[in-house]
Amino acid sequence: MAEAVKLCRVRVISAYPITPQTTIVEKLSEMCAGGELDGKFIKVESEHSAMAAVVGSASAGVRSFTATSSQGLLLMHEVLHWAAGARLPIVMANVNRAVGAGWNIWADQTDSFSQRDTGWIQFYCESNQEVLDSVIMSYRLAEKLSLPVMLTYDAFFLSHTSEIVEIPEQEKVDAFLPAWQPSVKIDIDDPRMFGGIVGPEYYYEGRYVMHIDSLKALDLYPKICSRYRDVFGRSYDIVEEYRCEDAENIVVTLGTITSVARITVDRLRERGESVGLMKVRMFRPVPVERWRAVLARAVRVIVIDRDLIAGAGGVLSMEVKAVLGGFKDDIMVFSAIAGLGGRDVTPQDVEGIVEYARLRDVADETPIFWGLKQ
Amino acid sequence: MKLPKRSLMARQYAFNSWKDFSERNISIGTMLHNTTGTWRFVKPVYEDKIPACQNACPAGNDIEGWIRLLQKGEEEKAYWHLRREQPFPSILGRVCFKFCENRCNRNILDATVGIKELERYVGDLFPQQTPYPHLPPYHGKSIAVVGSGPAGMSAAYYGRVLGFHVTIFESLPFLGGVLRTGIPNYRLPRGIVDLQFQEFKDMGIELRPETGVGEKVFLKQLLRDYDYLFLATGLHRSFDLKVKGEGFGPGIISGLEMLGKIAGGESPGLGRHVAVIGGGNTAIDAARSAVRLGCHVTVIYRRGETEMPAHAEEVEEARQEGVEFRFLAAPEGIDCSRDGRISGLRCSEMELGEPDESGRRRPLRKECPGFELKAETIIKAVGEGPEFEYLGGLVNPDELTAGLEKGLQPELEDGDAGKIFGGGDISGPDHTVVHAVASGKRGAIAIDCDRRGVILEDVLNHIRIGNGHALSFSSYMGWKPVNRVRQDPHAVVDSKRMVYEYFEKAPQVTIESLDPSVRITSFEPYRSTYSSDEAFYEASRCMHCGRCTECDNCLIFCPDISVLCRDEGEFGYYIDYDYCKGCGICFAECPRNAISMVDEEEEMGEED
Amino acid sequence: MQRKFDISRDIMTKEDLVQPGMLSCQGCGASLAMKLALKGLGRRTVVVIPACCWSIIIGVYPYSCLNVPAVHVPFESAAVVASGIRAAYEISGLEDVVVMAWAGDGGTFDIGFQALSGAAERNDDILYVCYDNEAYMNTGIQRSSATPMGAWTTTTPAGSLKEEPKKDLEKIMLAHSIPYIATGSVAFPDDLVRKFEKTRTIKGTKFIHLLSPCPPGWRIDSSESIKVTRMATEAKIFPIYEIVEGRYKINIYPGRDLTVNDYLFSQGRFSKMDESTVEAVQKSADKKWAELVGFSCEGG
Repeated sequence: MAEAVKLCRVRVISAYPITPQTTIVEKLSEMCAGGELDGKFIKVESEHSAMAAVVGSASAGVRSFTATSSQGLLLMHEVLHWAAGARLPIVMANVNRAVGAGWNIWADQTDSFSQRDTGWIQFYCESNQEVLDSVIMSYRLAEKLSLPVMLTYDAFFLSHTSEIVEIPEQEKVDAFLPAWQPSVKIDIDDPRMFGGIVGPEYYYEGRYVMHIDSLKALDLYPKICSRYRDVFGRSYDIVEEYRCEDAENIVVTLGTITSVARITVDRLRERGESVGLMKVRMFRPVPVERWRAVLARAVRVIVIDRDLIAGAGGVLSMEVKAVLGGFKDDIMVFSAIAGLGGRDVTPQDVEGIVEYARLRDVADETPIFWGLKQ
Repeated sequence: MKLPKRSLMARQYAFNSWKDFSERNISIGTMLHNTTGTWRFVKPVYEDKIPACQNACPAGNDIEGWIRLLQKGEEEKAYWHLRREQPFPSILGRVCFKFCENRCNRNILDATVGIKELERYVGDLFPQQTPYPHLPPYHGKSIAVVGSGPAGMSAAYYGRVLGFHVTIFESLPFLGGVLRTGIPNYRLPRGIVDLQFQEFKDMGIELRPETGVGEKVFLKQLLRDYDYLFLATGLHRSFDLKVKGEGFGPGIISGLEMLGKIAGGESPGLGRHVAVIGGGNTAIDAARSAVRLGCHVTVIYRRGETEMPAHAEEVEEARQEGVEFRFLAAPEGIDCSRDGRISGLRCSEMELGEPDESGRRRPLRKECPGFELKAETIIKAVGEGPEFEYLGGLVNPDELTAGLEKGLQPELEDGDAGKIFGGGDISGPDHTVVHAVASGKRGAIAIDCDRRGVILEDVLNHIRIGNGHALSFSSYMGWKPVNRVRQDPHAVVDSKRMVYEYFEKAPQVTIESLDPSVRITSFEPYRSTYSSDEAFYEASRCMHCGRCTECDNCLIFCPDISVLCRDEGEFGYYIDYDYCKGCGICFAECPRNAISMVDEEEEMGEED
Repeated sequence: MQRKFDISRDIMTKEDLVQPGMLSCQGCGASLAMKLALKGLGRRTVVVIPACCWSIIIGVYPYSCLNVPAVHVPFESAAVVASGIRAAYEISGLEDVVVMAWAGDGGTFDIGFQALSGAAERNDDILYVCYDNEAYMNTGIQRSSATPMGAWTTTTPAGSLKEEPKKDLEKIMLAHSIPYIATGSVAFPDDLVRKFEKTRTIKGTKFIHLLSPCPPGWRIDSSESIKVTRMATEAKIFPIYEIVEGRYKINIYPGRDLTVNDYLFSQGRFSKMDESTVEAVQKSADKKWAELVGFSCEGG
């Protein structure tokens, strides 16, 4: 993550330490101090201030970055809305971590899911390589659309493990991601008021513009990904399908569970079962067309949520159901809840979930609480 | 003057479609289209008012105006501005009662501005009176002024300025009336008075000393020869003491008579010990003159010192010069020695009772033995009255006092008679030089109104200033004030309207007088006046009450950027009424109340 | 002689960085404060405005009454957004620009305090100005920790007036060891403009706390705005001083001696105070003044 931020020539970073994001902060701090990164690191006194600081620097037209997790992300909630409404291309890394009370520092997607309404574009990463590549692509996307981007990846599984990654060359990154030329920024010679009070007569239109600009990501991002593949060789997309062409049962995951699910799909395929995997990368804006395209021919869709909203269920399954509803109501959507608060999800677990669903002809009303101590 | 309207630069935008929005919520225009002036219900205007000093002056002297010119270094302009309302600065700058200084708003802060001394300074700067600028041609009507005292002088002066032929008739051989016969030389040197009459000659005013009306010429003739008469004969008949032995002859002299003799160069023949009866300025002038003639003087006054009508400063200086005072004492009888000369005065002690009709407490004889005062000369200065024998029965003296202001038209058997006006001590209740000057000014205006055939009352209402009776000659003539902004001639700025927090204390300049022991050796004047630095400093103590001085307070404090400076070279500020919200801060923070808050509906004039 | 304000006519008449048409109430001290501040700071200023009266006064989208850039930010974050902008300018090599956070007393003493403390501790090169009208006036006169003892507000109504004294923010800022702290008042405009001019040459966090009258909130007539504010300093309730590198200096010695009584009862918001509270206020003002004089004399 820190390497990626350096490659993108981010000029202002502000961050407040919180496990498990601390390693990013420490590394970036070192880089700035050592001159490796030509940027300013503001050591703020809270996450709310961290986001506010980059709102300031991005308004001044300078590429900015911050990172946080769970409680910190929730604390900056007000400013997340503000940053998106102010159309600032900030990129933020959020390490997915459970939220208190019931204090827990391990992987869980509740934190970033709870911010899905803020207007930020959201990506969920499966590997450290993906994280690095996503930072670079995200800046390009953000600066084109003038919308902030949140990159999430799981606590400890990714943040505190080592993986060999290929670090792209600076010149190639510079060519792919040139310096940010903002069309609008604070300018002494052209004094304007930014973010002033908007009355009922104009607020609606402002939000509408934000909405349709957000939807442009659905067309723009695949183009960015294919360019990235051309330059760097690694290929990503809004959504990835694995062995879904003829699958009767498709597992839908995001984050590190995807890696586990991939292993399970292979195993089950060896046994002759018709199983596929849809990996969700872009979560906001909702890739309605793409998801429908992948899931159209499935009989069963099994969504695994590493989160549980009290009184409602798993967020990812709600989103999938909303996308499929009215499109193909005959597809059975199963919601499984697993791995909350960092509990490990093994291939056996995924297999168990798939087997459970596969044997049914009617989707359960309630989620499958996999691994719950009865 | 056309002032640019900022609101013309305002533009309002309308977004009709979402496509009109940029992605960022940024402003594209100013708030100038929001003319906040519509919020007002009162509005500020720059309006000059009458300061307390001008309001107190019976002549309506525009003191702030000439002090302002003095501060700018324009001494000659200051001199002529002063003379608009009060033509005799060298005289009044020496003898005036200083009504202005008593009311000066600066008294609250530290001490009054030395207005009287500044007047003398300005007057003395131009003793060889430069010719009166722009004397109008004669229009053919004439005024005969009877009496050359201050009232007559004033009427003659303004009469000439209004284009009349003027002749001054004076019974004495020298001119000046009470200025010569009543005020001693050490207070008002005769040279000053003479210079003033020299100027009158240069202005074309005819002077006829030693030509008393009722003696050498007669009223009937004057009524035929002149279109108008202005009677200013003053009060020269001394009241009697009404005590035993009064009629005895030499040794008893009236104060006026004594001062008149000294003025004429005669010795009044005083004894070694002199008793002066009375408490007014005549008594003090007589006492101090007697001291200078080597006498031992005691002043007897029936009330206490605080009730004395004489100027406190005069009393103090008299004391310094060795005059003794016996208060609450009144004469009972005069003692004579066997050869008929006065030897002493018997007096009784008095005490103060209830106030009488003048408002002062009535003196009552105490039931105890009095005292004997050794005196060879007794000077009576207990008041003066008019002498109207010269009227020759043409006018009833009882009608005179009332009629002099409006003008009397006596009947003559053969042909027209001139109209009779008058003023000064014979008509007013206040007997001071400045009241006389004001009275003469009023008389000249009344005569001119009669000539023009306009209603006097209307004119007087129009030219009155402040809340008293003072009249503005400038107003009558249509002359512009020093500050060319809107004027309210009836609004008076007293101390309550001043914001003293904006003024720093600065001590008054003190003028040195000669030591009393030196003073009494002659009748020479003993007070010098300001040096030019001192005058400049003292003038800078003026707070310019009610008149804008471009101090910038309003400019600095307006929260809505609605007070703006006029163009380079122009004086003052203007209000941008498109945006002024009428908060009143400019009005409240003006140190000198030069702004008024008026009703929003009021019409604005050109200079606003 | 008049004690004329030592502000040159040039400064007062040169380009208006604030233009009229703004939405402030009649007699608003905050709009006067901004006018004076920008006179001292000049064109090259970025203003950061959190929720406060000025977020409305400046105008409604798409209009602004300021001729300098202004950025609206969430309520609690004025100081840190200013820090962010400053960081951006430093890294881009843009110099000679003042970044000023312009917040009310609510956004400084209460909700914005953390961000202010953080920025001050980092000694970020920003100018933080608190224009203090002593309550949450924009939302309708609710009490803040800057509201003085004994004042009426809608949340400290009669019978339950504010008991706690006003927070002494200058002492708190002094504890952060920042290079410049000052109090100021719109009743002493030359002192205020001079202070703003001075901050242009100081690097690090600068804090100016100015008393800003609010006629509707203080229950005074709009024309008395300046007079009442002046009385606050004369009665030694709001002394005007600066702390430069930790050294105290009193700037305004009151020209006349007022008791707190004169100041308090010139305003409707204190009219319900009882005698013992007035005495307490007088004692505390006297004590504070004596302390200030002591600090001033010993040069630190």
